[in-house]
Amino acid sequence: MTSNVPVTYQEVFRTDRGVVYQCDASNRLILEFWDTHTQLSARDFAQFRRMVETVDIRQMALSTAAEHDVEILTPPRSERCYVLTLCEVVHLRELLTGAKLMLELNAMLRECGCTLSE
Amino acid sequence: MKDLARLRTSVKESVELALNQQIQMEMISSSKYLAMAGWCDRNGLDYSAGFFYKQSEEERKHGMKLFHYLCDQGGTAYSPEIPAVSQEFDSLRSVFEGALDQEIAVSDSINRIIGICRRENDYATEELLKWYVREQVEEEYIARRCLELIDQIPADQVYYLDKKLASVTYDGNPFE
Repeated sequence: MTSNVPVTYQEVFRTDRGVVYQCDASNRLILEFWDTHTQLSARDFAQFRRMVETVDIRQMALSTAAEHDVEILTPPRSERCYVLTLCEVVHLRELLTGAKLMLELNAMLRECGCTLSE
Repeated sequence: MKDLARLRTSVKESVELALNQQIQMEMISSSKYLAMAGWCDRNGLDYSAGFFYKQSEEERKHGMKLFHYLCDQGGTAYSPEIPAVSQEFDSLRSVFEGALDQEIAVSDSINRIIGICRRENDYATEELLKWYVREQVEEEYIARRCLELIDQIPADQVYYLDKKLASVTYDGNPFE
């Protein structure tokens, strides 16, 4: 999953299921999840994270209706479509929340004149 | 590593979310005032109807001011969802009580967002919201004064009451 990573990509956050990179050359965040690879602007990344955060996982866990077995999410301005089970939603949420935290840390460090990594 | 979010906008995500909620609240207020105006119009209270039509327009302008601010700052402003509002009221008093309740809720919400701005060191948004603080002082005064007039003017003088309510202004606003 992490082989052949372009040199302009900097790892923001990683879990067992995926990685979020930042590419300063293209000003994009790159989401690698399972075998998918999606490039997003900072705005679209935040919007997609909120979409994932607002998935009703309690309903997915408790409902016996087939329609609640999976959640279909499409990142903004992307042709990709994620069809996620409950576990995958939780894994994706963990990845995106971790990435958000690291991006916030980077912003705080930059305000102090430091950087997370170069 | 670049701070991509900061390059895009000066508004932090928590402030952006709070401002979008405020836009929705202002638009809901506009919808409620429009319903109040309609009720007054149906019941022959032309002056109060005019008062609420004007209030409805003002609330929409308040929402749009925030909407444009968010867009100008590189943030994302969402066109808000407006739920159904009550179209019927028990009396003119209940209409103005509803108006005061709404203004208090807006004031509380503005204060809460200023708290968020201070936590995020967002002085630009706080500066903008100070205008709303001053506006809310006036709005709450007018709604309270109208309720006082409803208490003071005899119930059988409906025409006079209606005319008097629509003429209430806050001349002594200490912020102006």
